[in-house]
This record gives sequence, structure tokens and C-alpha cells, in this order.
Amino acid sequence: MSHEAARRICRMFQRISVDIDAEKDRLSDLDGAIGDADHGITMSLGFAAVTSALGRLDPEATPSDLFKAAASAFLDAVGASTGPLYATAFRRAAQAVRSHEALSVSAQAEIVEAMTMGIRERGKGQRGDKTMLDAWIPAAEAAAEARERGEEASVMWANIVAAAEAGAKATRSMVAARGRAARLGERSLGHVDPGAASTVIILRAMRETLVA
Amino acid sequence: MAPKTSTAGKTGQSASAPPEAADVIPLRYGDDPYVWACWLYYEDGRTQSEIAEIMGISRATVNSYLADARSRGIVNISLEPSRLSSITIAQELKRHFHLQDCYVVPNDEGKEPLIDRLGKAGAQALAKLIKSGDTLTIAWGRTTLAIAENLAMSNLQDVTVVQATGGTRASFSYTPEQCAFTLANAIGAKLITITAPAIVSSSTVRAALLDEALIGDQFAALSQSNKAIFGVSSLRPNSTIHTSGFFESVSIQDYLSKGAVGVVAGRFIDAMGQPVSGPLDGRIIGLSLDKLRSIGMRIAVAGGFDKVPAILAALRGAYVNVLITDAATGQGILNAEGVAVPDPRQRGRGDTGAAPNNFRTQIKKFLNNPDNVVEELLQGILKAHGNYLAPINGSSRALVARNGPRDGKVGLVIGGGTGHEPCFVGYVGKGLADAVAVGNIFSSPPPAPILDCTRAASGGKGVLYVYGNYAGDVMNFEMAAEMAAEDEEIEVRTVLTTDDIASSSLEDREGRRGVAGNFFVFKIAGAACDRGLSLDECEAVTRKANARTFTIGVALEPCSLPQTRRHNFEIGPDEMEIGMGIHGERGVSRDRMMTADEVTDRIMDRIFAEMNAVSGDRVAVLVNSFGATPLMELYILFRRVEQRLAAKNIHIEANWIGHYCTSLDMAGASISILHLDAELNDLLHHPCDTAFLRVG
Amino acid sequence: MQTFNNADAGAIVLSMAERIVENRAYLSEIDGKIGDGDHGVNMAKGFGMAAERLAGKNLSLAQSLDTLGTVLMTEIGGSMGPLYGVMFTEFAEKIDGAEAIDSAAFSTMLHAGLEGIQSIGSAKVGDKTLLDTLVPAVEAFDAAIADGKTFAEALDALVAAAEKGRDSTIDLVAKIGRASRLGERSLGVLDAGATSCAIILKELSLGAAQRLQ
Repeated sequence: MSHEAARRICRMFQRISVDIDAEKDRLSDLDGAIGDADHGITMSLGFAAVTSALGRLDPEATPSDLFKAAASAFLDAVGASTGPLYATAFRRAAQAVRSHEALSVSAQAEIVEAMTMGIRERGKGQRGDKTMLDAWIPAAEAAAEARERGEEASVMWANIVAAAEAGAKATRSMVAARGRAARLGERSLGHVDPGAASTVIILRAMRETLVA
Repeated sequence: MAPKTSTAGKTGQSASAPPEAADVIPLRYGDDPYVWACWLYYEDGRTQSEIAEIMGISRATVNSYLADARSRGIVNISLEPSRLSSITIAQELKRHFHLQDCYVVPNDEGKEPLIDRLGKAGAQALAKLIKSGDTLTIAWGRTTLAIAENLAMSNLQDVTVVQATGGTRASFSYTPEQCAFTLANAIGAKLITITAPAIVSSSTVRAALLDEALIGDQFAALSQSNKAIFGVSSLRPNSTIHTSGFFESVSIQDYLSKGAVGVVAGRFIDAMGQPVSGPLDGRIIGLSLDKLRSIGMRIAVAGGFDKVPAILAALRGAYVNVLITDAATGQGILNAEGVAVPDPRQRGRGDTGAAPNNFRTQIKKFLNNPDNVVEELLQGILKAHGNYLAPINGSSRALVARNGPRDGKVGLVIGGGTGHEPCFVGYVGKGLADAVAVGNIFSSPPPAPILDCTRAASGGKGVLYVYGNYAGDVMNFEMAAEMAAEDEEIEVRTVLTTDDIASSSLEDREGRRGVAGNFFVFKIAGAACDRGLSLDECEAVTRKANARTFTIGVALEPCSLPQTRRHNFEIGPDEMEIGMGIHGERGVSRDRMMTADEVTDRIMDRIFAEMNAVSGDRVAVLVNSFGATPLMELYILFRRVEQRLAAKNIHIEANWIGHYCTSLDMAGASISILHLDAELNDLLHHPCDTAFLRVG
Repeated sequence: MQTFNNADAGAIVLSMAERIVENRAYLSEIDGKIGDGDHGVNMAKGFGMAAERLAGKNLSLAQSLDTLGTVLMTEIGGSMGPLYGVMFTEFAEKIDGAEAIDSAAFSTMLHAGLEGIQSIGSAKVGDKTLLDTLVPAVEAFDAAIADGKTFAEALDALVAAAEKGRDSTIDLVAKIGRASRLGERSLGVLDAGATSCAIILKELSLGAAQRLQ
């Protein structure tokens, strides 16, 4: 059971890596409008490092081992601010799945919630700052609601992805408060935050691989 | 050839000759009656009949000369560009949001505080909009108070001013009572206050209060309002909504978590302008959002780019039908809404022939593979300065001073992104930093090399981290500190440098960025550690050094990253940006280019305003190039810095002029002043020996 | 019934690596027209490293494919690392423990690799990716077997379909990745992934056919 779950987590990270790689130029373009034009490259490097690290792992690794390994690999590859944010997210996810390694639907919801919590703690940000949190927070709320209502996986993930998409879209009308884009002030208006855009790609990839 | 398009002024030679040309055209107009007519009209201010008489032609001909002169481009009528663009923005806002009217204050390049400009503009607008017999409701806020303070009308009759919300215990100058009182006074109106708190403890109390006849009367007056004037408040961390204490901060967090982006007349709204419910529901005494929307004329006055999401929400919710804002904010609202503003300069006669300002797309650089820039930089540094620095565990991303760490000494670890050389690697050595963690360009190092540095620097007395206050650096260094404490049992203290006084207001000192003043803070910290002071003492004196270091930078030209080789931002041909950060972070203001002395004076005035130095005080001075600005110009700046300090009888104890904390190839410079006291002076002179700083 | 011996077939992976390394410049050149231009370099790097690890060890096909998959997954990054990495590790897993491989086991192996790729990539046939080679190749193999053809004949059909599929990418517009930004301009050029996939499938089939008993 746990082996099958570990396989799904591997697939999940591989899919995130492939999808981010495919969208790398678009993400960098978004970032070019408001940052250093390297978000796509950074994310693609980070997830390539994750795939690589997971490929080296013992086949008996549990989902929480995988999340832990992903955290270290991402952090060492990326640095900057994205590194600590996702590293903390994956660590929180590792803690969240430790007690239910079988990846039930509610465990999947908890992964999304735990990742969001990790990003919030590390970045000390809030909704409306025009960061990846503007996609993660609504996604986590959708996950929590679905978990409480006992929705099935496909419904829950449809809600999570829709919430993240709406959140990412809403960053267009926000002014960056944190991170490198904050220096642009009102010049950041009218552009989707690249961190929120990559969050949507990640959550979609999670949906594709976790919904059994 | 059609007469209308022929060259003006070939009198008597072609069909374009004016039919009734006067016999003698004064010499200075050549033989061109159009120019003569135009001169008389536009420059001498003559009427058309006077011109007809002077030129000896009919008034109808004068009229057609003037019209032709414009269509042929002999006369160009131009509006000052900033006013023109503010009118364009106002028209676009009015059209897009179906406003009754909109006024956009032109940009003034930061000469006058926005709140004053909006106050004056709002007062002018109100002077046109308020009529005798009106009942005007006014909400509270800094902007609304500024309007009331700028307004004076004496010709009105039977005007009533009603306070839009109840009162508050919080102590700020722009309370609901004060705003209403000031407005009523300014226009000689009858004042009706709401004699209840704006927020009460429960809905039961609210119901009881509203049952009181007095308050009932006041609410009846409120519902008679035909005009409303209010500001729009942002919910961003530093906005007045947080600092005023009007709402309990717990409540604000609750509303934020439900998607609130702004406050209108004391009520929370989301990005689409919908009311957001929360813990204050049923406990607010004041104008409701529905009531507000039923008032005929709803005048909002608000500006500042941080308010854009809130103003946009208020517009989307139709709480506003007359908007007064400034050009930058108006532009921001339109950008956020995805509305393109036609560039007024592109209208009419079209292309002026100006070259595009970035016709060169790639900046020239000495590069091999752009992806290897940092590795190659570090290889070069290790070869050049191997006597000072050595890799830790073979990694060039974590470097230790050869002659730095020792047992019983607090270790000093610094670090940050590359692109600022000689910061940070240049300041590692005996008497200064013990180890440095090196990140990618403009990007924090990850925790692993920071942790390596921590281990290498540790001499059993703890380790001090000193680095610039940037979100990425803070997260990575914090993670490293957590790991050091958990896995290595090394106690780590952190001092964030925040010397860039332009990056945030004095009240938000902790939010400021660390820039070239790093140099002084590192120097003091290194000396304290080398003296063998305790971790507590090292931390305390480093904090003091940071608190007494003041930097402002000015950028003249942008920098470009090796990977993109494109400008990181744009600065106009005759502009400069005061207060720009070392990664191109926005500054205080974009200004027209000034002389070196004027620039220095702008910087020094601001530094003096914060540092409270008195005659006889001592300072250390750093005039630092951002990369492309040569020493020649730095000395010109220093010359003026010295004059300004000397005029206050402030003594320069030590000075450094050159490249100390750069931003790749940015043109520009920063001035940093360390305001010394006896302890700092002593530590400043403590010997150190590094690749880029040697003392003693 | 025709089969080949798992234990003797590890060398197929070495010759696969040889072909990929030989075609390094060609693959990068194709990729350079509409992509990063690093496909050949990355593939040669990954296959070369795998070949180094396998050289002289005389491993089975399953073990060799597993090593190749792991190396690609851990060393070459981008999207090709995980995609081919998953394909080869799935191949390996399905034939692991089998002594002789018959056409049914070979088909199961192909399907597992394909499903692996589809689980981590969002591309479909017609998007101008390696799937335009892989999908028709697998279908042709199955169809040949269903028609009563021999294992050897089915392998020929697989190679022919893979090459036809590869060539079909000339007339396709890229839907995924960097090339997709070019839209119509990606027409007229082979897809580098489809091309490398055809090389891989051809070597795999030739190697299997030579060893049939």
C-alpha cells in the first residue's frame, strides 16, 4: 500500500518537473514583467533536482521520505526565496503524511494544507501580497472544505485547482508587497505573479497524478 | 499640387498665396503672412479684428489663416505632458467605470506629499460640487481631513454636514468627529455628529443605541445625505487601517483571511467590491454600504499605489461615482483592470521620429557561458585572494577566512547574492568576517553553504550573522540558524542591516533594506568579534552600528544581468532615481537629472534629518559606486559631502571612496554615513586585513 | 514461439547508447530549430553515463534498462530526464525476473513504458512530441501480433511505424514546451524527442530480433 503511494508521489514530482519545464519560458516571461525573468529557470532547476534526488532514493522509501528528500534537493538547488518556501512546504507535507502513508483523499487534502502552512510560516506573508500564497491559500481552503465534506478525490482536486487558478488570476490587480517584485510597486500591476502561476502548474500536476 | 498642402508663404508664386496679402509684411516675418498672423494672435495677444486691421485683410481671412496655420503645423498647441496624461487617465477612468466625473492630479515628481496634493485637489473639486441646500456625509481618514483643511467656502446656505460613522477611542488626528467638524467649519455648514461609538461591543448594544431618540435623529439626517465624501483605505500591512487602532487588529486579520482588500466608510469590501462579513458584523454604527450606494453623488478621494487594489474594489462595487486620485494611482488602477491608456503623445500628428529608448537589446559583457558566471567569478577570486580566503569542504559557495576563526571568539558570518562585488567576499579576513556564503546573482545563498560557514566560523562562543534585510536572505539564513541550533548546538544571533533610509519611512525602520552601509556594519561587527567580546556584546554594538548608518543611493542608468543581458529596469534619458536599491528596487522619486551638488544636497538633507548630529560629532563616510560610475564622479560627490559636513562642524574621522557595494553595471552612486560615538570610533580603527579593506 | 533471453540481452542498451551518442549533433541540431538545442547533448550525456556504468558487467536487459532509467532520471534534468527515465524504469520493472521474453511480455513492457510517460506528461498524439513515435509503434506491434505475425515480423512493424511516426512530426504544430511558443513556425521540422525515440525503439527491436530463438 505504502509502496503504491510512494510511487504516486514519485510520479507527482516527475510530472511537476515535466510540466514546469514545459512552461518554463512562459513563467520567465511573466517574471520578466515584474522580476528578474528567472522564475521559470529557477523552478525548473529546483524540480529537476527533486526528480534526480528521488531517482536515487531507496525503493522502500515512504511518501514522507520522498517529501523530505524533495525538500533538501529543492533547497540546495535553488536558494533565493523560492528555495526555502518550497523546502518548508515539502517538509510540512512530509510531517502531514507520516501518519497516513496510504495517501487517502483526506491525506491529499492535508498535503495541500500543510504545504500552504509551510509557505506561510516561512514567508510570513498573507493573501493579497501578490505572491504564490494568493494561489496556495485559496487552494488550501478548498482542500480543507472538501476534506470536511468528505468529497471524493476528483471533486476535491477540481475545487483546489479552480481556487488556485482564480487566486493566481486575482494577482493581476495586486501590488507586490514582498520579494523582489515589491521594488516595482505599482509597476507590478496588471501582471500575474509568476509564483502564483507556477503554483497552478504544480497543483494541476498533483491532481493528474494523485487522483487514482 | 493642392493649395492646402503647398509650402506656406510663397507669396505671389502659387495658388496658395493668401488672396488679400498686405502690401508690406514686416521683415521679421519673412514673406509669410501666416507667421505674422499667428505671431499677432498667439504672442502679442491681439484679437482677430485687430489683426485684420494691422494686416489690412478681412477678419474672415485672419480666421482662416489661424486655422490653416494649425493644420499645417506652423502653430502647435501643446499641453504640458504630465497634465495631458493625467487628463487622458481621467477620461479613461471615467469611461471604464461609468463615473460622473473624475479628476486626476498630475505627477509632480515627489515635490509635495501626495496627501497634500490630494487634499488640495479634493478641496478644489468640492468647491465646485457642493451646493447650497446639500446634506453632505463625510467619513474619516487622513485624506478626507486634508480636504477639509484645504477647503474654504463662504457663499453656501443651508448645508448640513453629517458624520458618516460613530466616534473612536483611538488617538489619531483624523477621527470621524474631527473630519466632520473641520469640513462643517470650512463651509459654514450645520454639523451633525453621531454621538455613539463607531464600533460597539455587541449587536444588542448597537440596537439599544439606535433606539435612542438622539441617535435616531442623527441617523435620519445621515439618510438625508445627497452627497458623500470619503477616502478608501488599503489593508496592506503598513496602512493607516492597522496603525490607527480604529479596528481591533484581530478583526482585521479575520477580514483579510476572508479576502477583504479595502475599507470604504468603515466597511470591509473584497476585490470585487462585495461586502465581507466578519466579527464586526452588527457592531458597527455608521453609514452602511447599501446606504452609501444610494447617495446620489459619492466622491472618493484616494491615492498611493498601495491603495490600487482597494480603490479598484470600491470602483467595481460602484461605491464611487466621482473619483479624485493622482496620475500614478490612476494609471495603476487602469493597468490592474487591464485597460490600456492611449499614449497622448502618439495621438494626432503621430510619430515624432524619436528613436526607441532601448534600440540596443543586448548589453555587452565579458562572458564565457552566462550560466557559469558565478563559478568563474569565484574561481578568479580564489586565485586572486587565496591568501585571505579558502573554500570550505571544497565548495566555493562557502568561503572561510584563512586567518579568521579561532577558539573563544564569536564567529562572524556574512553573505548574500553575487553581483555586488567586492561585497561580500571582499570583507572576509582577520578582524572582519570569518566566513561568507555566496549566492547566485542578486539571489540569497541556500542554507547549506550558510551552515557550512557557521560551522567553520564557530569558535565555541556563538556565531553572529550580519546580512542585508531581504526576504530571500532572511528565509535562508533563518533556516541555517535553525539547523545550526538543532544539529550543531551553535548559538546564532542575527543583525539585519537596514541602512537604506530611502527604502521605507522612519516608522518602518525595520522594513528597510541593507545596502552599501553593510560595509560599516560588517567592519564594526568584525572588530567586536576580533576583540573577543561576548555574543551579547557583539550583537549589541552591531545593532548600534546599523542604527547609526545611513545610506541613500541614486541610480542614473539601469543594470543588466548576465543571463538576460537586458536592462533590469528603465530610466528615461534625462531622469535619475533617488533612493534606488542595489538590485534596482524602486526609490523615493524619479527626478530630472540634477547637478552633482544638487544630488548630494538632496541626499545629505535627508540623512541629516535622520541622524541628529550636532556640531563636533564624528562620522565615517563611504561614497560608493554602483558599478559603472567612475571614481572621478565619486570624488565630485565626496567634495560636496565634505562641504556639507564641514558646514555643520561634523568631523570626518575616516572616508572610503570607490567600489564597495555594487549592482553589476548600474550607473549611480550611494552615500553612506556612519555616525560615530566613542565605542564605534574605537572599533572602526581596530585593525583588519581583507582583500578589500585594510585598517591599521 | 519466438523468445529472447533476458540475461543475454543487456548489450542492447549499450548499442542504444552508442546510437544516441553518435547522433548527438544531429539531435541537437533538430532541437535547435524549435527548442533549446540541447537535446542531443543531454541525451548523449545520460546514455553515455549509463553505458559507462554498464560496460563489462554483462547485466540482463531488465537490469540494464533499470540502470539507464535511473541515470536518465537523476542526471539529465529538463523534461526528457523524467520522461525517458520513467519509460525505461517501467520497461525494466515489467520484464524483471522473466527469463525468456516473448511477444506478449514485450508488449506488456512497451505499454508500461508508454503509460509511465503518459502519467507524467500532458502531451497527446499529434502534439509533436516523442509520443508521436511511441504510440503508433506500440500499436503497430500489437496489431501485427493480433494478425498472427511472428515476433520478428511484429518488431519490423514496430520499427516501420516508429519511423513513420517520427516523420509525421514534420507536419505537426508543437503544443508542448518551448517549441509551442513558435506556433505555426514549428511546422516543417522534426521533433527531437520523436527522433531520439525512433532511434531507441529501432535499436531495441533490432537487438531483440537478433537474439530471437
